[in-house]
Amino acid sequence: MIKLRAPLFITRHVLFALVAGSVGGVVFMFFLLEFDHFTSSNEFCLSCHSMTYADDFYRQSVHYNSPSGVRASCGDCHVSEGIIMATYDHAVGTKDLIKQLFGPDYDDPVVNALHLPEAAFAARDWFRTRDSATCKRCHTQEAILGTRANTAAIHQEDAQGKTCIDCHVNLVHRPVPERQTFKREAWNQLVEEEFGLEPGRAAEILAEP
Amino acid sequence: MKYPILFLVLVVAALMTATPAPAAKVTLDASEWGHPEGDNCISCHRKASPGLTEQWRQSAHHAAGVNCMDCHQADPADVDAMTHEGQVIATIVSPQDCGRCHQTEFEEQAGSVHAEAHVMIDARVPALAHQLTGAAMQAAGCDQCHGSRVKVRGDGTLDSATWPNSGIGRINPDGSKGSCSSCHGRHAFSRAQAREPEACVRCHSGPDSPDKEVFEASKHGMLYKAQRAAMNLDADTWVAGQDYTAAPTCVTCHMGAAGKIPATHDVGLRNVWSLNTPVSMQQYLVVLEDGAKLELPADSKPPKRGTELTKADGTTGIVKVVAGPDRRRQIMSLVCLECHSKTFTASFMDQFDAVVELYNGKFGEPAAAIMEALYQHQLLTPLPFDEPLEFTYWELWHDEGARARHGAAMASPNHAWWEGMYLVGRNFYSRFLPQARAVAGEAAGELIDPVLEASAHHQWLAQPEAANPILGWMPPPEPELEPEPEPESEPEAESVAAPSDAEADSRIEAGGDD
Repeated sequence: MIKLRAPLFITRHVLFALVAGSVGGVVFMFFLLEFDHFTSSNEFCLSCHSMTYADDFYRQSVHYNSPSGVRASCGDCHVSEGIIMATYDHAVGTKDLIKQLFGPDYDDPVVNALHLPEAAFAARDWFRTRDSATCKRCHTQEAILGTRANTAAIHQEDAQGKTCIDCHVNLVHRPVPERQTFKREAWNQLVEEEFGLEPGRAAEILAEP
Repeated sequence: MKYPILFLVLVVAALMTATPAPAAKVTLDASEWGHPEGDNCISCHRKASPGLTEQWRQSAHHAAGVNCMDCHQADPADVDAMTHEGQVIATIVSPQDCGRCHQTEFEEQAGSVHAEAHVMIDARVPALAHQLTGAAMQAAGCDQCHGSRVKVRGDGTLDSATWPNSGIGRINPDGSKGSCSSCHGRHAFSRAQAREPEACVRCHSGPDSPDKEVFEASKHGMLYKAQRAAMNLDADTWVAGQDYTAAPTCVTCHMGAAGKIPATHDVGLRNVWSLNTPVSMQQYLVVLEDGAKLELPADSKPPKRGTELTKADGTTGIVKVVAGPDRRRQIMSLVCLECHSKTFTASFMDQFDAVVELYNGKFGEPAAAIMEALYQHQLLTPLPFDEPLEFTYWELWHDEGARARHGAAMASPNHAWWEGMYLVGRNFYSRFLPQARAVAGEAAGELIDPVLEASAHHQWLAQPEAANPILGWMPPPEPELEPEPEPESEPEAESVAAPSDAEADSRIEAGGDD
């Protein structure tokens, strides 16, 4: 008869620690899952006032209003899939929270609009380094047919070697030029005209700490 | 070779008889075009926008190896540059861009009445487009012909209040003026298309410059329509009298090569008169050192070479060359001579000039003088188009008067007369004068009558008894047998311009009170 016997170093305390650790680990994993889920929701993102400006344009886009009722949330596009990468993205994303708390007053629509281009460039870089992974959660390139005659052919022949974000910029949020042709002075002027500011005021606002 | 000298003579003879190329040839080396990324554009755009791609594919540009990037490439620093599929491009291809290859045409059109079409009316546009109607009309109306001042928004997009636009005086983001595609349809840029009268029709039609209608109603238009197949429109060179003789088009007279006259992209070069002004003026064409051009009234002394002049946009330039009205008329007439005799040509020009001078002396100048007097005496407000008389005056010279003058310039009797000077006369006597008198009130005798009395043109009104059967009624012949005694003193109309109030009511003013 074989007698199962725990090794000697498995003392009662160790056993207790293992059980507690396992249970704690499982609870922590559930917590992370729920945490990532919650912090990917529109409600969470929009709990910062500064995000409501992004929301305005999002609500006009087909990613919010699709005829089929499929609606992409903030996290669907901006948080990676899988608990590890999702947690990582949220960890990195805390810098936004820190900036929100200690940086410029992004709640101010003027400040928000003035800083928008850099945010857009960073977001595009994020999509590009991940090969537009979050787009592909829903969109399968080979299956794109479109409503026009040659949309399918373009996505199969001409999109080779490209990633979604290479072509599909300015899809959801306020249009911003690509970094290469972006002109800060022109953007400042646009914001000044939009908010009725004195010429040169935008540059002053940007220079404020 | 058996006959080397004969061969040489034949070659030289062949070269000498070869036609000189009237259109400027592209001198840029072919290595300067054929951008390596061009093929990638085509791969996608033949699916995404097959219409324009196919037009390009059938074009001379395609045949020469000129692709999308050659025209649309941009520098990242350009205000309208955008990143598209990894390339930096601009939507608008300006005359300056086309000028990279087509330098001669770019320089010729620069400063022309076409290129300056926006600047010339810039100050006047708000009166009609903003006040009378609304700003939307500037984008959809005025600017579609005169060109817009294209605004690039801070996000890199073109402001929809100013674009799409291919108006010929468009002020482009790169600062150049004009739009080649105004006449040269994208993306085929077919020379045959640009030589057709239809190339001009989008703007040169309608009440104020009915050149399409005038041309079609002229003998030139009649012949063009009947003999279009013989126009050789697609020829490499297109010299009137040499490559085609069937009929002239707009291009032939205003831009085309003819005999020894070279082609030009300065479309106003051969025009003596301003025909779209309240009073027509003969004009100098002044070419400035920087290539810009100006037109100045020819009743003053010509500006001297080297003097400084202010341009339409407010900047200044140094005078380089001045072409007087005679020189401009001479160039136009040389085109005529390819098909007409010298006396025919000179006499036609006499007929044309006489119409312009008649318009000026009988209607344009008096009407302008009366309006000026009414403004000066504050009988009219300075604000345009808030009084009916201002519309009447505007239509007198801008529509009806322009039509009469254009009709005479291009030999459409219908437009010179029924659509033109007849309406000018009807307006002047039955609307303009009665309204002006009403505005002037008691001051009419001081402000209006002297203007009319100053010229013999209006004396005919002083003979109300001069009958004519045109309206179907003639006074019965006076009985000859019993001559009645002379009435004591028939009250003569003192003058045409100052009829008694009662008389005026029953005559011109009664008909004009609309």
